[in-house]
Amino acid sequence: MRWIPNFESEIELPDPLLQIENLDIGFETARGLVRPVREVSLSIYPGQTVAVVGESGCGKSVTAMSILRLLPSPPSKVLGGSIRFAGQDLLRYTERQMQAVRGRDIAMIFQEPMTSLNPVYTIGDQIAEAVVLHQKVGYREALQIAEQSLRDVGIADPHRRLREYPHEMSGGMRQRIMIAMALSCKPKLLIADEPTTALDVTIQAQILELLRKIQRQTGMAIMLITHDLGVVAENADVVAVMYASRIVETATVEELFDHPKHPYTQGLFRSIPKIGVTSKRLETIPGTVPNPTRFPVGCKFHTRCDKMNGDPLCTTVEPLLREVSPGHWASCHHVEKFADSPVTPPQLEHKRETDLSAVGEVKA
Amino acid sequence: MSEMAVTPIEKSSPEARDELPATSRPWLEQIWLDTIGRATAKLGLVWIAIITAVAVFAPFIANSFPILAKIDGRWSSPLLHYITPADVTLIAVSAIALALWPFKRVGFRVKCLSIAGSAVIISIVTLIVIHPPKAEVFDRYRTLAKEGRLEKAIYAPIPYSANDRLRDQFKVDNPHPRAPSREHLAGTNPNGADVLSHLIHACRIAMAVGFISTSISMLIGVIIGGLMGYYASWVDLLGMRLVEIFGSMPTMFLLIMFVAAFPDYRSIYLIMAIIGVVSWTGDARFVRAEFLKLRHQDFVQAAIASGLPLRSVLFRHILPNALAPLLVSASFGIAGAILLESTLSFLGLGIPLGEASWGQLLTDAVGSGGSFKWWLAIYPGLAIFLTVLAYNLIGEAIRDALDPKLRKRD
Repeated sequence: MRWIPNFESEIELPDPLLQIENLDIGFETARGLVRPVREVSLSIYPGQTVAVVGESGCGKSVTAMSILRLLPSPPSKVLGGSIRFAGQDLLRYTERQMQAVRGRDIAMIFQEPMTSLNPVYTIGDQIAEAVVLHQKVGYREALQIAEQSLRDVGIADPHRRLREYPHEMSGGMRQRIMIAMALSCKPKLLIADEPTTALDVTIQAQILELLRKIQRQTGMAIMLITHDLGVVAENADVVAVMYASRIVETATVEELFDHPKHPYTQGLFRSIPKIGVTSKRLETIPGTVPNPTRFPVGCKFHTRCDKMNGDPLCTTVEPLLREVSPGHWASCHHVEKFADSPVTPPQLEHKRETDLSAVGEVKA
Repeated sequence: MSEMAVTPIEKSSPEARDELPATSRPWLEQIWLDTIGRATAKLGLVWIAIITAVAVFAPFIANSFPILAKIDGRWSSPLLHYITPADVTLIAVSAIALALWPFKRVGFRVKCLSIAGSAVIISIVTLIVIHPPKAEVFDRYRTLAKEGRLEKAIYAPIPYSANDRLRDQFKVDNPHPRAPSREHLAGTNPNGADVLSHLIHACRIAMAVGFISTSISMLIGVIIGGLMGYYASWVDLLGMRLVEIFGSMPTMFLLIMFVAAFPDYRSIYLIMAIIGVVSWTGDARFVRAEFLKLRHQDFVQAAIASGLPLRSVLFRHILPNALAPLLVSASFGIAGAILLESTLSFLGLGIPLGEASWGQLLTDAVGSGGSFKWWLAIYPGLAIFLTVLAYNLIGEAIRDALDPKLRKRD
């Protein structure tokens, strides 16, 4: 059951910056083909923040890595689908063409700031190398650009920091430097793979605020990969919930948080501790994410689902993503009128209203 | 907690920088400090420094020609007259290296490049400019002295060249080799050459063999090992078979065969090249293991993700982080190469006759004379032993410094 592109709706909408369609990724392993990403469709519009949420191993990082084609091949291979960036299919690019996209059009920041910087080079060297490469400037000029981008991410005394080594800095600073590095070439899309997971809460807030400010200034799109719903609620415009290789629900952040439709999403929300509510135990989703080598037949969530009630449909037919209400896609047989809903590609141009007074200007 | 919340991202006072614990230096620098912090490594380095200095200044330490001589009332420098382009290059390059060393502002890479560049330029210039006389007539100044024309002469501390045979200096009833005496502190060899001078001039061969053959093997090892480690899969499979093939070649017998098969091509540089070409397998294994480990590191992924070309990812981002274990194998490799050359020379298959080598002196200890000449065994043996030991001590110290289990917590 593949969706057929609806050309009429595409004409109405502005072009998405990045459009992933039916992406299928497989890994050749000793125990056969494992498919960590199946039929993932996702659109990201300029200036938008799209959050991809899910537990460890649900395929969110693989999706992100496959956009930049960073997955080692073999063992990984693309089984189908397309990743269109500004109209061009990145999957058809040669390695040399990809090198021009990486860092310049699409930049990425990683989860672990402590190990993402090369210990043998100074900060300035590392940022300048990519700048020299992509912006075709001299080393001296690249260092000035590096200095400016360090200033942009709120690092004091950037001129001196350029000459320092990564080990001389704290985790929060290193993540700022990673962001500065990613931003130094003014990418149109920033993929942030759990950018705050390794940081403590106060630094986390600073980093996310920084990303929001830079997004407002430059209008770049952000693909935010996280498992933290609090981060999603504060930063995302559109949310895609992934479970066991598929997107199970996607909607605007307000819609998703107000009306979660998929039992998995609902379970996720129930397992957030709430302020002011006393309960003996925090509610959890029973069971664990199924092993990608042995996904259950039918709905992949049925082994842990509280809505199934022995429905044979759930154990036999896998529900695919449908537009269950305008602007809200979900994949569950038990969502109202699921069978009658149209199968359309998720395309949400939504941008949240930002309370501009809440966030100050970036320090110059 | 409240303090944490308001802490600016940064404390940048110079005082704060000085308080950094010792472990937070760049990694290679830390390894280096850990290495030279060990007494054994210090001993090794001191010995190698002595050998290097002796090798560089060999013609000024042991030379049959006077440094300054007054002949028929005119001052001249016979030593400088006979100096070779290699001597001048060595001295000039080491002078530049020593002069550059104290400058902290100059980066390590810049230092290395400028030293290598000046070495090339100086060697070309000296080859063009300096033409020492082909024939070295060692007896000339001795004859002049006998005739009384040599009014004043200042000699090097050891007034004998390594290939000065001193044929006419002793009578037939007192033949060479002679045991150590006041004239010849380490005796003479069967040809009548001074052993101490021989030892001093042989330092060059030993150092050159060690460094050149190890550089060749490192170069091959890094390239092949790097490609194996980075690409893994079939490249690795193929490379490892190549490593096994070369690893199964007995270097010693290959060298003996080569020398036996091509006696006309016998040259020390050929021997260095063969040692290098055969012994890269260890380096390749080290580099492969490091690259396999490093290629999945976050900073390598980040380098790829920022669009850097493969060349930069491999050699700028992975290689410097893989260098430290290579240093261990390099220092053992130098020791091995020195030993190999000495063995070859001992067997009479090494460097061409007439050039100075420690192994060649050893041959003479049990040579044609019949009886054992202890001074021809002890001194060169000691030189080989100490040099190989020094390199092994340094290699050992680097290995210990690299081992996190052995590193002191501070």
